[in-house]
Amino acid sequence: MEKQIIKLDINNQIHEVAVTPMDLLVDVIRKQIGLTGTKKGCGQGDCGACTVIIDGKAQLGCLKLAIACEGKKITTIEGIANPETGELHPLQQSFLDHGAVQCGFCTPGMILSTKALLDSNPNPTENEIKHALEGNTCRCTGYILILEAIESYVKAQSEGEV
Amino acid sequence: MNILNNFEYFKPKTKSEALELVKNLGDKAKILAGGTDLIIMMKEKMIKPEAIIDIGDIDELKGIECKEGCGAEIKACTTIEYIESSSELAKKYPALTFAASQLGSKQVRVMATIGGNSCHSSPAAETPTPLSALGAKVVISSLEGDRELPIEGFIHGNRKNDLKPGEILSKFILPEPVKNSACRYGNIGLRNAMEIDAVNMAVNIELDEDKATIKNVKLVMGSVAIKPLVSEKVPTILNGRKLNDELVTKVGEAAQSEAKPISDVRASAEYRTDVIGALARRLVKESYEAAREA
Amino acid sequence: MGKMYEVSNKYNNYKEYTREFTEVGRNIPRLDGAAKVTGKQQYTDDLVLPRMVYGKILRSPYAHANIKSIDYSEALRLDGVLGVITGEDCPIPYGIVPHNCNETALAVGKVRNWGESVAAVAAIDEVTAEKALELIKVEYEVLEAIVDPREALKRDDLRIHEDHPNNIAYEGVQVYGDPDKALKESSYVLEQEYYSSYVNHAFLEPQSAIADFDKNTGKLHLYATCQVPHYTHQQLSKVLEMPMNKIRITVPLLGGGFGGKSVASQADFCSSILSKKIGRPVKITYERSDVFATSNGRHPCYMKFKMGFDKDGKITAVDFNNIMDGGAYSGWGIVVLFYTASMVHIPYKVPNVRFDGKRIYTNKPTCGAQRGLGGVQPRFAMEQMLDEAAAHFGMSPYEIRMLNAVESGYTAKSMMYVPHSEYKKCLEKVVEMSDYKEKHGKLPYGKGIGLSGGYYISGTSYTLYLSYKPHTVATIKIDEENGVTLFCGATDIGQGVDTVMAQMTAETLGVKTEDIHVVTRDTELSTFDLGTFASRLTFATGWAIRQAADKVNAELFPVAASMISCRGDEVAVKDGMFYSIYEKKKKHVPWADVVTMYIESNGPLSCTGQFTPPRRKGIQQGGNIGHSPTFGFSAQIAEVDVDLETGKVNVTKITEAGDCGQPINPMSCDGQVHGSIQMGLGQALYEEMKVAADGRMLNPSFHDYKLPTISDMPKIEASIVESYDPSAPYGGKESGEGPIQPTIPAIFNAVYDAIGVRFTEMPLTPEKVLNAIKTNKVGK
Repeated sequence: MEKQIIKLDINNQIHEVAVTPMDLLVDVIRKQIGLTGTKKGCGQGDCGACTVIIDGKAQLGCLKLAIACEGKKITTIEGIANPETGELHPLQQSFLDHGAVQCGFCTPGMILSTKALLDSNPNPTENEIKHALEGNTCRCTGYILILEAIESYVKAQSEGEV
Repeated sequence: MNILNNFEYFKPKTKSEALELVKNLGDKAKILAGGTDLIIMMKEKMIKPEAIIDIGDIDELKGIECKEGCGAEIKACTTIEYIESSSELAKKYPALTFAASQLGSKQVRVMATIGGNSCHSSPAAETPTPLSALGAKVVISSLEGDRELPIEGFIHGNRKNDLKPGEILSKFILPEPVKNSACRYGNIGLRNAMEIDAVNMAVNIELDEDKATIKNVKLVMGSVAIKPLVSEKVPTILNGRKLNDELVTKVGEAAQSEAKPISDVRASAEYRTDVIGALARRLVKESYEAAREA
Repeated sequence: MGKMYEVSNKYNNYKEYTREFTEVGRNIPRLDGAAKVTGKQQYTDDLVLPRMVYGKILRSPYAHANIKSIDYSEALRLDGVLGVITGEDCPIPYGIVPHNCNETALAVGKVRNWGESVAAVAAIDEVTAEKALELIKVEYEVLEAIVDPREALKRDDLRIHEDHPNNIAYEGVQVYGDPDKALKESSYVLEQEYYSSYVNHAFLEPQSAIADFDKNTGKLHLYATCQVPHYTHQQLSKVLEMPMNKIRITVPLLGGGFGGKSVASQADFCSSILSKKIGRPVKITYERSDVFATSNGRHPCYMKFKMGFDKDGKITAVDFNNIMDGGAYSGWGIVVLFYTASMVHIPYKVPNVRFDGKRIYTNKPTCGAQRGLGGVQPRFAMEQMLDEAAAHFGMSPYEIRMLNAVESGYTAKSMMYVPHSEYKKCLEKVVEMSDYKEKHGKLPYGKGIGLSGGYYISGTSYTLYLSYKPHTVATIKIDEENGVTLFCGATDIGQGVDTVMAQMTAETLGVKTEDIHVVTRDTELSTFDLGTFASRLTFATGWAIRQAADKVNAELFPVAASMISCRGDEVAVKDGMFYSIYEKKKKHVPWADVVTMYIESNGPLSCTGQFTPPRRKGIQQGGNIGHSPTFGFSAQIAEVDVDLETGKVNVTKITEAGDCGQPINPMSCDGQVHGSIQMGLGQALYEEMKVAADGRMLNPSFHDYKLPTISDMPKIEASIVESYDPSAPYGGKESGEGPIQPTIPAIFNAVYDAIGVRFTEMPLTPEKVLNAIKTNKVGK
């Protein structure tokens, strides 16, 4: 199949890539663009390791055709920290500080799902956080410290600390 | 696995362009909306379409119209998440918004569409059950025009539906809930989330002016037959009666007797039958109470 | 040197006495954490080498079949295909336990489980590789498959391995004391059968390997997802018929292991063989279905237990018959078999024991090592039996455990020596934290609370092949340019050992953890380590690190002493400063200045430490397995709410108290405990690999292999009891495998408390629970 040049807007940068329609977003992001922070865990939309934010919402890179993403704003984990200083986003820092990171393989997806949630709902309840993260599997942490990290960040933010 | 076959990709901008393509490509093409079912089927090599018509970004096919007293229209490419978070819908059709919230994960709900959920025609699908209980109709469009039919008539069986070549499902029409009525949805799975339901169910109850006597009831079961199953017995048990414990028990038994569940990797037929009773009893009570307060 | 070393030893005595740690015991965010939260961290599949191509593995659709022929000519003709290999290219068998290895990288003549690897291809991209797989024609003669080990035992006519009559992989009997007599004389004997289920680690990162064979040098460089690079190294050397010094294994950080990556993967072998064949780097990354097909997960066990008690409720004897479902190949099997035997001896005193176990071949993906291996199965049985016995004696489950619990200094009948135990403290604490005494037996029907205890080894005393070399070597290099560099081959699989090693190094050297550079996971650069299994790393690397760091200090202390004008044994180091313990304010000198002075006058400074666990006599066959330098303990309480109409068990809370000695990084310990509970909860309630009668796996995906989601987790209250193991380098012991031991029986005991039904089979599906509730009602 002939490749076509498409433009993908990833982390506020336009990437021109040659794709065939069958190319999945996760593979294009990882292999062609080289943003390997987006992970592949199950290939079938169950584990959430490939989560990216598309037009403000958490979506699954492994179930998304790259070609269908032209004209959309995509954010990967590499786009979360401050682009100028490289300073961690306070949510990332909170994950670190609370021990919410173990093997780290779910972490990018987990952070992106959280980020997408907080962008639309800055003060979520515990249940709202859980509901937003049900599609992000973590096998190391038992989720407890992840939840603590998020709640602590939310609290700090609502108190104007970050 | 997990690699798609080659196909030609079409992304029509308007509904009429889409209909044109659907007509021209016929069987060769599959329609892509959210992709959460289609892409998995392609990865598993269950289907190898020659062409994909991506209708996911057609604005005409998205959105909810929900006017006071006029029911609602939900366009086919409206995402499940959009439905879940629609406060207008939640007011009139909490069973539907709740069912939407129970579908897959957040990411899947963001991508999946209500049209896709019906067109995939999986017996375990979440939204067809409440749609049926609510008396929803689907509108099927083609270049020749539109046709309407009840959702129960649209879904024929496991991955089978009434769509003919050249057609797409374009919207759902939900009637305005009648006075003194309420509909509730419930589902049973192993986990608290990310479940492919062993059983799901919706019950819609309408009461008389006395707010006690049941005027009408519709109980619909999912994942217990090849398509959403509307109970015939439950209305004969409940219509014209006031709900009591004995009737609740009977409703459970009736639902159990009508369901034709199968055993599979997710649950046995016996267990499904057991929980159909439990779910029917719970939902009838819940919707009855809600209708009294409606 | 000798004299200097004495100085250092004195320092340690002083420090041990006060136990005033500055780096150990600190909640330090893991050193690789920033890379992980930003996506910079590179895992194996993230790496791309120049000229790299992609490999894929063809797997058998049948569970038991002879391979009549494989025709891959068409695949080879496909544009972009660079090479195809089959069992003929790798006939040498391998296995983690060298003396009974029978696996091959690709099937030779016969497949013995669904998903067994049959051929592998290398192609310019994954799409082409997958197309090539479709073009390989394999002719199978399908044989009857056996999936139940109890059945397989009877079927000598249907041998999965020709040289194993009745499909017995191995069997063993151990008798300690006189269990028959003890049982006869017991005042109460309980007899019960149990089944523990077939589960998978479900680590999130599928296995991946990149092999880079250099035809000019004859060297192979493998980047792979292995927990135990050393054993993989050995097996690669054997299969590829290359000396170990021509093979280098680099392990990028792992995305979880839990024992699953403790065996060499078919990706490791196939990528290596293909790379050797085509002269280009080859990457093979598993899909999730490959992960299930090569499982290496927990062994299902059909267990018959007899437990005897004297009139006071003290355990008199345990008689344990274990039929263990091994799946198709050896793997870790023999080790796991004898672990199940040894796990009976602790955490309760058992004076008489009989173990009679068999590991049986079946046509299923091979079982192997999974978090808490060998312990989870018998613990599941014994902790429930203890509750039953307690009821018989009119005691509380807490009392019977306290009565039988082992204490520091205990030597089990199997000669396992427990240098340190705070198990009783764990029981006391967890009961207190959860109000167990007020709740147990007193909650309304449908609600329940259950207690369980457990323990795990903290290291293992033996290598898998006969060897007298140290189990761990750590080298610390000190220089002005890089500061402190620690070399150690230990493998961080997500548990955070890199950080813990840095903390221990920093502790003894008196510098900051964040300033330690850790060079690990590379057989060429790092020093030797056996690998990540048996919860051995904190203890084993800790000793090696402490020894190396003590030697460094022995070199630096005299220099520091002369620089600040005090006696050598008055010197201490902390926070990057050497100082006199008597006149800290007046007499101190920065650590870096001492290093400079040392190097300028003495030259380079690097020191090596090592650790080998003490050996004890394993008095019977397999009896050495389970011996460990020390043990971690824990107790948990589960609270459940059973939906009486649907049978669904909601675990609402788990309270845990753990004895992991001195936690090196408490935050990491908490993480290990929570993760263990999640894995235990999944196995207790729904996780299960389901296999059809013909051996096909029915749920090789996360769609249908159900893991607990964030919404399925109970509240967890985890605590670490005050504990310090004097036999441990920094007082610390394991915390990664002990905490999974009590979770499942605690949940089962809680369900008993809720509905009065004893379940003996995992998982506790709503279906089983509902059926039991129905039967009970009818019974009443």
